[in-house]
Amino acid sequence: MRRLLLIAIALFPALAMAQGFQVNLHGQKQVGMGDTGTGLLQDGASVLFNPGAVAMLPQNYVQAGISPLFFKSAFQSTGSNVTYNNSNQVATPFTAYAVWGPTGSKWKIGMGVYTPFGGLTNWGNTWVGKYSLESLNLKAIYFQPTLSYKLSNTVSIGAGFVYNYGSVDLTEALPLSSSSSQDGQAELKGNGHGLGYNAGIFIKPSPQVSLGITYRSQVNTKIDGGSATFTVPASLASGFPSPNTFSSSIPLPSTTSLGIGYMPDDKWTVGFDMEFVHWSVYKSLDFNYGTTTTSLQNTSEIRNYQDAYDVRMGAEYKTTPKVAIRFGGGYASTAVQDGYVTPEAPDADRVYGTLGLGYKVAKNLDLDLAFEYEHVMSRTQTEIQTQLSGTFKTNVYIPGISLSYHW
Amino acid sequence: MSMMKNLKNYIYILAATVFVAACKPNFNSNPAPSKGTADFTRYISVGNSLTAGYADGGLYLTGQLNSYPSIIASQMASVGGGTFNQPLFAASQSNGSGYLKLTGFDASGNPITTSVTTNLAYVGVATVPGFGNVNLLAKYTGNIDNYGVPGIKLLHLTYAPYANLNPYFDRMLSTTSPNNTTTYLSLITSKPFTFFTNWLGNNDALGYATGGGGGYATADALTDPNTFAQLYTLLIGTLTANGAKGACATIPDVTTIPYFTTITVPLVLATVQKAVPTVQALYINAADATGTNYAPRIATAADLIVLTFPTSKMGVPNGSGYPYGLDPRNPIETQYVLDVNEQALVKTAVNSYNATIKSVAASKGLAVFDAFTFLTNIKASGYVINGLNLNSNYISGGIFSLDGVHLTPRGYSIVANQFISAINSTYGSSIPLANVSAYNGIIFP
Repeated sequence: MRRLLLIAIALFPALAMAQGFQVNLHGQKQVGMGDTGTGLLQDGASVLFNPGAVAMLPQNYVQAGISPLFFKSAFQSTGSNVTYNNSNQVATPFTAYAVWGPTGSKWKIGMGVYTPFGGLTNWGNTWVGKYSLESLNLKAIYFQPTLSYKLSNTVSIGAGFVYNYGSVDLTEALPLSSSSSQDGQAELKGNGHGLGYNAGIFIKPSPQVSLGITYRSQVNTKIDGGSATFTVPASLASGFPSPNTFSSSIPLPSTTSLGIGYMPDDKWTVGFDMEFVHWSVYKSLDFNYGTTTTSLQNTSEIRNYQDAYDVRMGAEYKTTPKVAIRFGGGYASTAVQDGYVTPEAPDADRVYGTLGLGYKVAKNLDLDLAFEYEHVMSRTQTEIQTQLSGTFKTNVYIPGISLSYHW
Repeated sequence: MSMMKNLKNYIYILAATVFVAACKPNFNSNPAPSKGTADFTRYISVGNSLTAGYADGGLYLTGQLNSYPSIIASQMASVGGGTFNQPLFAASQSNGSGYLKLTGFDASGNPITTSVTTNLAYVGVATVPGFGNVNLLAKYTGNIDNYGVPGIKLLHLTYAPYANLNPYFDRMLSTTSPNNTTTYLSLITSKPFTFFTNWLGNNDALGYATGGGGGYATADALTDPNTFAQLYTLLIGTLTANGAKGACATIPDVTTIPYFTTITVPLVLATVQKAVPTVQALYINAADATGTNYAPRIATAADLIVLTFPTSKMGVPNGSGYPYGLDPRNPIETQYVLDVNEQALVKTAVNSYNATIKSVAASKGLAVFDAFTFLTNIKASGYVINGLNLNSNYISGGIFSLDGVHLTPRGYSIVANQFISAINSTYGSSIPLANVSAYNGIIFP
């Protein structure tokens, strides 16, 4: 009779995507030059940067690289003097490309495997925002077979098909205290896939100048049959069926890139890229559970992302025929509007700088190193849905290494 | 060779850049916490059960450790606050007065609560002439900064015999009931202090309200608003006499607490109708507009039934065969119902008390936490913070403890932050806010 107005705890498994989750580490030569490459002919990474450029590559390539990413984010609540740091976990964006075509032919085929989106955050289970998010490990791996064709000596085109394998592992605390004062826990873990394409045009009107335009399509990634695990006090277990399943889908946005390359002599290469990311397709994030109860309802969170853009510049200087030094930098606008910044991707406008070093280990083998530093602008605001209010400060440190074999 | 050397240099530069840069973002540039124009060297808290950390129908050690004054005091540490001593129960008597524990839910989802009766702090009985027996609690002999006394009204401020009647007050004194002569006002002002919070006055209205208003012999009375104003002026005048600064809180609208909003007339009626579909209405013994004359009438959804109403009484016939609560000749007794007229009387009194609190506080330049407005807003639209969706509902709301009146540790941390915000804005201090997420709500088995 003293009836419990049934526990309707709104679950907010919040999976946000942001500029912070767009990963622009697609080849160490390009990273070293401020992530430019749409209008350049550097190596097999053109499969991603501009499939139209692939047919113009002077050689065939097999290459792979990795960029251990150190994401250093800290949060301080409004009115508090306690700082919470994201734990030191290292994400590992990687790339692998292969490009091949018969000598002297007009076409080349390519294959790219790369990670254009992803995120790894772990704020722990004692921080102020634990009911919003404890940890998130999000990965998107694109597989892209590509065909490129040289229309003339100055123009080539190319296109690729994209298969995305995506995975997510998210944990958050539930405000349901056990007799030992422990919070409940929710974990959502699953994987899914999506399809898309990319296409590009590459123009080389003179030996000194090259241009590129690339469109990479939106990839809707759908997760079905993910596992949802809830740990709650025994008396509430019936309200949180566990194990449960969930489904969700995420629109990984399309990007449009414009790039220019300038090669004044045989030592210098200068790159300039602009990219438009169509984030405004990301309106809301919906989670549907296999079994719902009065306590566990499907959720829909408003995201209302805005389109974002970035500008990048970089240069390479060959100090000797075997050594190249590179540097660059850029600016990226945030996709997240005020009122929607979440701890998954504490995003804001950012600036970054890069350094790189290329070394010809042998005639056919390049070793490339790069380092990127990103400074995400300090951002103070209150998220509308969770009222998590405070300041995020984030710096990202990304060393990288790759090996390229070419013939 | 020189090329290799260059290469090494480049690698060193690259590596050095990585390690120099790889440090955590910091907030060192924030302004240092400041005490503003206040002095938190010795902070004392004045008030009733809410101030003592009372929860789940009792005062016990865990509740004391999560009292809002103790949370405020720990946040004050970074702006010059000193040690804060509470009259804690000893570990061996940690369950204090005893309290309610949630032990599960029945098949319909109704909570089952059980009283904790072990490790209590009761030590004896005092016989107070003209009053009766008082169960005494174990004395606390250390320093005290939290003077929260469960049950106390502002009305008792200068009433000397009160310490003999209230075991929570008695345990703070070196004398023992029935020989206590210390008034509450003299206890709280016995040692110098620099800052205070004061949340007295709730029970001047709540005592009447939780007893279902008046209409029966042992009913509590509303404190006369003029008496309230005199005593409040005396209290604040005394507290500020030596230059101390402080914060006061207003009295919440009693109808915002789950004690009155969980068991509703429509809910009881619907439950009765499940068994006896022909029942049309509930009958209550209700007050007239003056609150002095009581007569049976049909209950409406606007009449509030108390959380502790024993619903097993419903339908039980009296000596003349009339079913309890379902016939005007055997209505629900007035102590279980705060009817609309009684609510109006409480509202008038609370509004008057709050006008007094605000004007007296303003006259001394004190901070005010407007608990009336704050809890009214939570009742209307809930309270969201740090991803927590809280509201005024019983158990599921997360703010109110199992007694439906007092708060959970999470609820007390929210109150502490409201006091802190009021203090900071009045005195230009920057006491850091407490982390509400770190305090638990209801404990579930």
